[in-house]
Amino acid sequence: MDTQAQNQGFEVQEDDIEVAIRQPGQDSGRTTADPESGEVVPHHRQGQTSPPHRLPADGTLLDQGEHTTQVDQSHGQSSSEDEADDDDSENEIVHGAKHVIMLFIPVILCMLVVVTTISSIGFYTKRDGYLIYTPFSENTDSNAKRIRNVLGNTFIMLGVVVVMTTVLILLYKYKCYKVIHGWLIMASLLLLFLFSYVYLGEVLRNYNVPMDYITVILIMWNFGIVGLICIHWKGPLHLQQAYLIMISALMGLIFIKYLPDWTLWFVLAAISIWDLVAVLCPKGPLRILVETAQERNEPIFPALIYSSTMVWVVTTVEPDAGNDSGTSNIKANNMELVPLGETTVTPEESTVTESSPRQDNGGFTERNGDHEARQRRRDEVARREVQQRSCRDEQGEPATRVSVQQSDEPKERGVKLGLGDFVFYSVLVGKASSYGDWNTTIACFVAILIGLSFTLILLAIFRKALPALPVSITFGLVFYFSTREIIAPFMELCSVNQVYI
Amino acid sequence: MDLRRMKDEEKLDLCRKYYLGGFALLPFLWGINSIWFFREAFYRDHFDQQKQIKTYVIRCIIGTIIWVAIITTWVVIFQKYRADWGMIADDMSFIIPKGEL
Repeated sequence: MDTQAQNQGFEVQEDDIEVAIRQPGQDSGRTTADPESGEVVPHHRQGQTSPPHRLPADGTLLDQGEHTTQVDQSHGQSSSEDEADDDDSENEIVHGAKHVIMLFIPVILCMLVVVTTISSIGFYTKRDGYLIYTPFSENTDSNAKRIRNVLGNTFIMLGVVVVMTTVLILLYKYKCYKVIHGWLIMASLLLLFLFSYVYLGEVLRNYNVPMDYITVILIMWNFGIVGLICIHWKGPLHLQQAYLIMISALMGLIFIKYLPDWTLWFVLAAISIWDLVAVLCPKGPLRILVETAQERNEPIFPALIYSSTMVWVVTTVEPDAGNDSGTSNIKANNMELVPLGETTVTPEESTVTESSPRQDNGGFTERNGDHEARQRRRDEVARREVQQRSCRDEQGEPATRVSVQQSDEPKERGVKLGLGDFVFYSVLVGKASSYGDWNTTIACFVAILIGLSFTLILLAIFRKALPALPVSITFGLVFYFSTREIIAPFMELCSVNQVYI
Repeated sequence: MDLRRMKDEEKLDLCRKYYLGGFALLPFLWGINSIWFFREAFYRDHFDQQKQIKTYVIRCIIGTIIWVAIITTWVVIFQKYRADWGMIADDMSFIIPKGEL
């Protein structure tokens, strides 16, 4: 599975493997056991702009990737397999639920922002003009002509999406990171400044709040710049997540406002099919993106993906390392790591000094109460060892650090969802709510969440990146049309005749 | 970014950058900085860079408070005297509220 891609280049010594494996088995078995791939690692991508990711290991840091790999291998070979398996299934259940919740919250927030905006601010439902991507008018006399125009619009939209995705993949493939970053920064610049400026204006106008330019400029400047910093550079995780949700919501609102009615429904259907193709076909662009990212052991651009936890895997030191093969172990790790080149990155991330075992492990609860304590003890041991070692051989510092990290077990895993998924989910719900019928809105809302959970279940089964749009959007569309065409008239009839069900 | 995974030097560096960035009329950045590093500055056990981080955090807090005060005062003044200032205030207005009948 995915992890294999990362295997290359490492030779893992037997010792290491054992260690890596065992540890998981013992204490936090659940944690490590699954990392292998999976379940945890869900990802999804979305159709349009956003790419997917693989999760668990994906690391920003190489090591994690490796790490996982190690575990994997070992898994295959070692005797602890059985236990691990047990653990696995158990974990899957426990973690699965957490993941669902971790993704539900942002998705719900995003949809809520869009729905409330649509239902309270007239601007986003008022038609004025269309995007250039949808040149054909829907206001024609004959239905045949309308269908033709709608299909025409849909194909143009889809074409744009396909071309953009392909361009992105090509750029990524040929390592034009500068271009991609420039592109993404431009996009977020537009969303953070222009669209949110329009949004702010409409909100204030809607509530008739007087406002002066000085304050507005100051607010926009702060909002935009901080957003760019958080998304593209460094910022608190929650703030970054909030910004990503906001830009998805803004994007969704733009689609709702500027796409003609029927075109929008067709685009939703077309995009989810495209998502399916792009992610699952062997040559699908998004799949290539994920695989390339894994191969290179890089994270996918933060502006494209929402991750429920930090990508980095955290470090804790192996228990066994402490006693028997401690030093040699470290050494071995060292050797592996160094050739990687990117090692410079690593030491930064490994907080040797204060790596508290209690990281934000995204809901992967450690069940052993004393786990932390144990870990801490282990940390201590390792640290001491490291120190000793660095005393012993002078050149130690950086290398040592790296090694410590290396021997850590991956702790954090989260789920990733492409921002495009957020956008299209909220487009569907927002559009449904724009007709003012709450039954329909709620039906779509629930349908999308059910679809999302279903996708997460599939993720646990298949353990690879899956498209998040098809299931949810299909459910959403089915619920939308059935509620609007069947349930709503039925309910109306019932209430007219005073029948209460 | 997760602070727990950073080394102290990096934290200091990040904190400094946020602090300096705040001078570009970005009080929001100061606000974030003061909340983000609050724990590091005041609750964590002593570490080498703590003193500097503490200085930055305190300055950020002060900066944020001053900015909030300035903005609030300005908004209050503007809202209160907007009608009296006539044309000037109209030119400054992003949104001029509609009257009610």
